[in-house]
Amino acid sequence: MSVSSSRKITQILGAELDKLVTLPLIGLTLMGTFILNLALAAAFTSAGLQGAAGTQSILNIGLASMGYLKAGFIILGILATCSEYTGGQIRTTLTTIPWRGFQLSAKHLALVIITIPVAFIIAASGILYTFIMMRDTAEVIEIDTMIKPLLGATGYLTLTTLLSAAIGALLRRTTPALVVLLGYYFIVSPLTRVFLPSIKNYLNFFPDTAGSYMYMPPSSDELNVLTPMQGTGISMIWTLSFITVAIVFYRKRDA
Amino acid sequence: MRAFNAELSKLFSLPGIWLAFLIGAIAPAVIAALDSIAEKEEIIAGVSTRLSEVGYIGLVLGVQGVIILGVLAVSSEYLTESSESGGGQQITTSLTVVSSRLHFLLAKAGAVTVISILLCIVAIMTTVSATHLVLGEYAPAFEWQRLIGAICYWTFTALLALGITLLTKNGIIPLAVLMINSSVVSFSVLLYRVTKLAVYLPDRAGAEMFMFTSDTFTGSLFVRYNTPFTGGLVMLAWVVVIFIAAAIVFHRRDVAA
Repeated sequence: MSVSSSRKITQILGAELDKLVTLPLIGLTLMGTFILNLALAAAFTSAGLQGAAGTQSILNIGLASMGYLKAGFIILGILATCSEYTGGQIRTTLTTIPWRGFQLSAKHLALVIITIPVAFIIAASGILYTFIMMRDTAEVIEIDTMIKPLLGATGYLTLTTLLSAAIGALLRRTTPALVVLLGYYFIVSPLTRVFLPSIKNYLNFFPDTAGSYMYMPPSSDELNVLTPMQGTGISMIWTLSFITVAIVFYRKRDA
Repeated sequence: MRAFNAELSKLFSLPGIWLAFLIGAIAPAVIAALDSIAEKEEIIAGVSTRLSEVGYIGLVLGVQGVIILGVLAVSSEYLTESSESGGGQQITTSLTVVSSRLHFLLAKAGAVTVISILLCIVAIMTTVSATHLVLGEYAPAFEWQRLIGAICYWTFTALLALGITLLTKNGIIPLAVLMINSSVVSFSVLLYRVTKLAVYLPDRAGAEMFMFTSDTFTGSLFVRYNTPFTGGLVMLAWVVVIFIAAAIVFHRRDVAA
């Protein structure tokens, strides 16, 4: 039976989406992230309200929880690829879809389809909560100034998820992948910024710092900041190169 | 005693445990060395304010190693094998051999405690030598009370990780939460800005066993609230509460559930 290639791709994508949606841990992770984000937004808002009123903008506070939020999406990305390797699911997958490059690309695409709406909703809910709570004290901002950082935040979370999925596909085990990624994003990266200020300019080109410029409101006091577009470009290059490496290894390696 | 030996042997044969050892032994020294380099410039410039904290920051962050240890000790028991090798869980075998669940739990906790104490001693040795290597004559004397505080902090953290993982049965969530919480951007720091009660959270209280001795360290966030001893007691209370909860749940829960 011969199937046309466009139909083939649709079928692969459908299968990958199906697998992602039916993973119970992914639903739990996303729900947990959503609730955690609201709790963090509440904490940041209350901290902001206690501080000097009116000095901080709603956007800054609403997006402050992003630092924690990415953990949920890192878990999402790792789960998506590593779940294939717990048990022998990978062999079933490769028996039905013997085109490895296609299969892994379709998985990443399926992940994008799921991540974008979820990331948007979660990031927006944080800002919305802050907006409702701080309407009276902080300066009110227009909707269209809110849209740009929100899109940037969505893009950042999506790229982080994809990067984590690529790392997960490379390492193939959940715990080491989780330790490596969380260790990088939450320990190594903040620490190098504190201890090695001399290489600060280069740090801008690492995936998390570059990506954070996608949603950060522009600050005037820093000399070497990137524009949102530059940040997007750099973190996209990182993500794409990691995905490429993952696909190359995936094709060469014994499953 | 045989159950304890068995738990030790199980822990040492886990592949992920070597990652924990590596992080626990090396990371504190690296962080302490970086901190010392920054500190040395300040000393030479004559603006040093936090000489007594040097090195200990490495021990605060190096606790990652024992978090991995505590989480893996339990989550590996609940990991479902692939269907090709029977789809079983190690916990069923473990409980067949050691049928008293309390004994099993005590043996596991004992093994984790012993390993984290040893790991912390190794970490202290690497950290102290790294600090001396970089700072030379400026190196502060490491007081043994604070070092014992650090050992207690590591052990309690490992036991907390073990208890929480026993409740969730899955390693991912406790690992993520605890790793983030022991990092620079911890939840406790955030909560501290909301309510001052956050000083009684386990990691914040536990860190007082060996951190925050000087009042000059950056900002009101790091002001000492408890004495080292009460800090340790608060953290111990957390460990005991979580452990009792975990023991009750573990005792009553069906393994397959």
